[in-house]
Amino acid sequence: MLSSESNKSLVGLIYRAAEQLVGIEQDPAKFTPSNTRFQRGSSSIRRRFRTNEITSTPPTGVAYVSTPVMEEDEAIHGDFYLLAKSYFDCREYRRAAHVLRDQTGKKSVFLRCYALYLAGEKRKEEEMIELEGPLGKSDAVNRELVSLERELATLCKNNTIDPFGLYLYGLVLKEKGNENLARKVLVESVNSYPWNWSAWSELQSLCTTVDILNGLNLSNHWMKEFFLASIYQELRMHNESLSKYENLQGMFTFSNYIQAQIAKARYSLREFEQVEVIFEDLLRNDPYRVEDMDTYSNVLYTKECFSALSYLAHRVIMTDKYRPESCCIIGNYYSLKGQHEKSVVYFRRALKLNKNYLSAWTLMGHEYVEMKNTPAAVDAYRRAVDINPRDYRAWYGLGQAYEMMGMPHYALHYFRKSVFFQPIDSRLWIAMAQCYESEQLHMLEEAIKCYKRAANCNDTEAIALHRLAMLHRELDQPEEAAFYYKKDLERMEAEEREGPNLVEALMFLATHYKTQKKFEEAEVYCTRLLDYTGPERETAKSLLRGMRIAQSGFPSMDVEHFHP
Amino acid sequence: MAGVVKAPGAFAITPHKVSVCILVNIYASPSQISVPFPFSSVSQHNRLGLYLLALTKSCDDILESKLDQLINQLREVGGLLDHWLTDHVTSRLSSLSSPDDLFNFFNELRETLGGPDSGVMEDDQVILDPNSNLGMFLRRCILAFNLLTFEGICHLLTNIGIYCKEAISSCSSYELRRVDDSGNDLESLSEYENMDLNLVFKKINEEMEARKRATEQVSFHLHLPKELSTLVEDIEVFADPKSEHNDKGRESSSYASGELLRDVDPNGGVFLRTNWQIQGYLMEQADTIEKHGSSFTLNAFELTLRQLQKLAPELHRVHFLRYLNNLYHDDYFSALENLHRYFDYSAGTEGFDFVPPAGCNSFGRYEIALLCLGMMHFHFGHPKKALEVLTEAVRVSQQHSNDTCLAYTLAAICNLLSEIGFSTTSGILGSPFSPMISVGTSLSVQQQLFVLLKGSLKRAESLKLKQLVAANHLAMAKFDLTHVQRPLLSFGPKTSMKLRTCPIIVCKELRSGYHLISEFCCEGSTMTADGAFSTAWLKNLQKPMGSLVLSQDNGSRNNSNPFLFFTQPSSIPGSVMQLVGSSYLHRATAWEIYGSAPLARVNALVYATCFADASSSSDAALVHVKLIQHLAVFKGYKEAFAALKTAEEKFLCVSKSRILILKLQLLHERALHRGHLKLAQQVCDELGVLASSVTAVDMELKTEASLRHARTLLAAKQFSQAAAVAHSLFCMCYKFNLQVESATVLLLLAEIHMNSGNAVVGLPYALASLSYCQTFNLDLLRASATLTLAELWLSLGSNHAKTALTLLHGAFPMILGHGGLELCARAYLTEAKCYLSDPSFSGIIFIILLRHLYLILLISRAGVPSSSFKVSQDWGCRKGIS
Repeated sequence: MLSSESNKSLVGLIYRAAEQLVGIEQDPAKFTPSNTRFQRGSSSIRRRFRTNEITSTPPTGVAYVSTPVMEEDEAIHGDFYLLAKSYFDCREYRRAAHVLRDQTGKKSVFLRCYALYLAGEKRKEEEMIELEGPLGKSDAVNRELVSLERELATLCKNNTIDPFGLYLYGLVLKEKGNENLARKVLVESVNSYPWNWSAWSELQSLCTTVDILNGLNLSNHWMKEFFLASIYQELRMHNESLSKYENLQGMFTFSNYIQAQIAKARYSLREFEQVEVIFEDLLRNDPYRVEDMDTYSNVLYTKECFSALSYLAHRVIMTDKYRPESCCIIGNYYSLKGQHEKSVVYFRRALKLNKNYLSAWTLMGHEYVEMKNTPAAVDAYRRAVDINPRDYRAWYGLGQAYEMMGMPHYALHYFRKSVFFQPIDSRLWIAMAQCYESEQLHMLEEAIKCYKRAANCNDTEAIALHRLAMLHRELDQPEEAAFYYKKDLERMEAEEREGPNLVEALMFLATHYKTQKKFEEAEVYCTRLLDYTGPERETAKSLLRGMRIAQSGFPSMDVEHFHP
Repeated sequence: MAGVVKAPGAFAITPHKVSVCILVNIYASPSQISVPFPFSSVSQHNRLGLYLLALTKSCDDILESKLDQLINQLREVGGLLDHWLTDHVTSRLSSLSSPDDLFNFFNELRETLGGPDSGVMEDDQVILDPNSNLGMFLRRCILAFNLLTFEGICHLLTNIGIYCKEAISSCSSYELRRVDDSGNDLESLSEYENMDLNLVFKKINEEMEARKRATEQVSFHLHLPKELSTLVEDIEVFADPKSEHNDKGRESSSYASGELLRDVDPNGGVFLRTNWQIQGYLMEQADTIEKHGSSFTLNAFELTLRQLQKLAPELHRVHFLRYLNNLYHDDYFSALENLHRYFDYSAGTEGFDFVPPAGCNSFGRYEIALLCLGMMHFHFGHPKKALEVLTEAVRVSQQHSNDTCLAYTLAAICNLLSEIGFSTTSGILGSPFSPMISVGTSLSVQQQLFVLLKGSLKRAESLKLKQLVAANHLAMAKFDLTHVQRPLLSFGPKTSMKLRTCPIIVCKELRSGYHLISEFCCEGSTMTADGAFSTAWLKNLQKPMGSLVLSQDNGSRNNSNPFLFFTQPSSIPGSVMQLVGSSYLHRATAWEIYGSAPLARVNALVYATCFADASSSSDAALVHVKLIQHLAVFKGYKEAFAALKTAEEKFLCVSKSRILILKLQLLHERALHRGHLKLAQQVCDELGVLASSVTAVDMELKTEASLRHARTLLAAKQFSQAAAVAHSLFCMCYKFNLQVESATVLLLLAEIHMNSGNAVVGLPYALASLSYCQTFNLDLLRASATLTLAELWLSLGSNHAKTALTLLHGAFPMILGHGGLELCARAYLTEAKCYLSDPSFSGIIFIILLRHLYLILLISRAGVPSSSFKVSQDWGCRKGIS
């Protein structure tokens, strides 16, 4: 496991380095949309932009090397820069920085600083393992931060800093916990050079609320649309995010990235069918893609597609075994197969590779719940919510775990949290209602309120209406009960479902209308009941008989019925 | 990682521990005889040993001390040896310049330890017993070192370098006294810098410089727009509140930078103490929070907690402490959040040391979470919610057969029921209690409470939870004090039941609560006791008195005794002291109710003198309230207000409510006596506002407020309104079973009717009050009811004067013995009236007049005991004459 941990760190470093270098190589002069449009025509813009997006998420381990375009001042020391760049690509960061020690060109300075930063990061990751104390002490720091901050601050002060330098400055400030300043610097960076996606994503990680986002002073640029779409998704504003991405897709028709993001947004909106189609399409175009495939596997899991999921798992494991996403997909597969122990092993591996991999924590929690290991489940869920307090699934899981332990009162606290973050999910409301209904609490009024909410948010399993009717019947409120039974009945008719619920609804409605002396309605329900076998049929018959006697034998009652 | 609990006692070797090892090595250097080389006396030697012991056990902080702190302490301990010790430690530390030196050092240490077969030991030789505390410490250090990877050893070496250098740099900056020594150190250090193999130290220097740069006042923001620089300033706020902890005489600037250092680069030189010490520290802090309530500083402690969490993310106890901190600062949401977080992470299996670890099942102990949640709701004034949660806790504890938790939960429920007025618990206390309340749920709240109390007591006794037993005895005493024991079943032989409270039972319960003080050690929390002892020992070092005693290095054995004496009280855990103290408080209250003023006062005084240190601030306030009330009744308002002033100063920032209420009470009474009705009404209204506060309804306060309201109306001669208020109050008391209060209210009703001229209507009330008093043994109240009865008789006509007089004379011993000034005065007045209305007694009118004089003097100049004494003497003489 140790090797995989360090592997992860290196992967992360290369990943970021590649991103950054790609950013460097895109010469702004050549890359402004207007320019390109004149030179190459719109279709090539698309292609170019697409590569931009792809390279922001490159397959791991691919160091993106190409000849940098020199600026005037760089030309003189181009050789040094080239040498440093080669060292850098070979991950010899300190060496690279040393080569550039006397260079003053903006690019050289940036590369030197960035190399130093990465060297510090690498050492930090190593130390993290070396220093791991008994209580999980994880306070290894990047020791280059102090000097980097000083240098970059001076550069910033003298106004001799380029957007990449600003990006790095923002990164350093963020690591040092000075978030406000980091945001300012990053905004400045993306405003002067919008194509640096890394800067955008750092900025995104610093915007945890809508208010902060609205407070940013971003100049209008189409990169901003990408940023907004991405951050809306993070802030769980899925519809906004989806519309942004769809707009963007109009411009970048073949972008895999956008396609994947749309799929993710739709997944959050629980539109599984469409998500599946999108992902199938995506895999056809980009067969070795691992990124975002965990979402696809979740969809397959929900739809219980065993073979498709196993195929996907096979494919990703061939592509890259040590990606958190790959492990997560395999974990999902085992979970679907009911082999929860194995599933946990893979989720654990995913978490080893990325300690902050949110969905793995949540999914592992689910597995522990299946294994009836509630304390472990609670722990896993709690870690998930501490990483991202908006993860309603983990809150829901916590609630479930406590409910399993027979602590409904305690569970309620978590269900409340979960519906707070996702008020449109009927399952959460139903879970909460069931909690209220439990024999320990027996708070039926509250349960009814929750079921009502559930019924209002498109309850696909149609539990809420039925339960509402039952509860009202239990509380001796026949009018309300009849109302919900009727609704439930309509629904079942629309979906052409049959079953005990249908019979129950018919039965109740028949007797209810009979006691209300609305014989015509009662007769309708009774005759429908005659189609079913079982004791209900007999009851319906006797009801009908009774009604006929009442209608024919005692006309006076009839009169009463018609003139109330 | 989820589900995996790391070995709790893991032990990391740090520079501080290395220096302690060096000291241990000095203390028990293997080749010396009886008194080893540097020590001139046995006591000196012992002192070092004690100091080392304290170092390894004390829990006054979370971080290990720096070298300069260690040196400072060594100076206190070492006396004349001070220089030798510090020199030895620093030189030994700085001689560790390569990993191999470390290996050799730890090998040497091993020789200090005696072998397992230390029977062959020679007589006078000092050998450290491997099983002694220090021996264990040494062994753990050696083990931890042996387990280190090579990288780990490199880190240790770097850290030792930083550790030494910091001390030296701080020495040279602010310490003039030790210039010579630090000079030596610098020299020796420069030697090392000249060595060829000085990679390590070079690196250290670089790091030190980097840190220095970081801590220099951050000048690089100057270029930025103003907006930015203000943002930057925000981060520097941190260092401020922490400087309270600064007890060394450092100049503030260097200190602040040191504090910033902690935040900037926690990696260099900042190490947590051992897990054991940190747990001890957290426990002590928890005690302090509970003791001091809201006066405990919220933010400073929060900062410490944040740091602790950063250094030890897997130490979940931090969340609990955060919960406590928030709880006592009335931050509902954070408290709730942290409570949940703590139990999610720890599953209730961390902390709570009274639970044997062996009994830990795989389900976790979430019932404790419910117990805590219930108590939290109680604290925030949601008794109903609290009861629901506690009910759930009972059920879950039963399910998981966690008897200990069940016992505590039951105790909590009892507490809840007795503190908060529930008119009915039906629908809340339901099914899960059926195993305990086998009789069904048709019982009144009081009966349920009684059954629960009994059950809880029995459970606690069978589980041998001494403290809980004591607490339960106290609760039982409280119950017995105010409730008549009625048969639980409505059938069966009832004749044996006396329908009275029984003071003897109350006394018995209180006494059995007191046993705790001799038995607490069975509870098995030696850990905290040890830690607290060591902490106190170290703290005493810093007091000037301590150093004075210790610097007399005359070799007499008893120079270490003063220390032991001073720290002795702390060997009884604070919680035990608190419980025992509250038994005295209960006694005081019991005597107050039974009507023995001196005994009540004595008990309150005992509490205030003996248990003031251990008591929680609210209990301390309560005892002050009792004493001041006593003063007001027996010495008059002047003295009471003077005392109140000091009390107000003492409990300035603490929840003032109790003191505030007392103040209002005193003001109200005085206003009534002086006839300032408007003022009285105003004060009374204020009291009413307090009673209907947002937090839970305090029944006691509520009755108090409306009682006073009725009194004010009575004084304003609005009889019908007063009667209406008193009547509704009586209804409330009846509903909530506040029987002691009922007696008072009935008496008040009688007085109202008497004053309105309806003596006949008043009579039954007075009689009812009397019978209440008899039932509950409220002797003083009974005397005053008798007095009212006499007054009623008297107002029926002069032909009843004799009856009145007889009644009065019956009550006189009690009134004169225990009654306050006002009551005595009233008694005399009534007596005088009786005599006056009877023409045959005209002969003694002289005496009556004298008595009047006495009264007037008393009331008008209340608070001047000498004069009243004089008058009474006077009176005695004249009586003799006549």
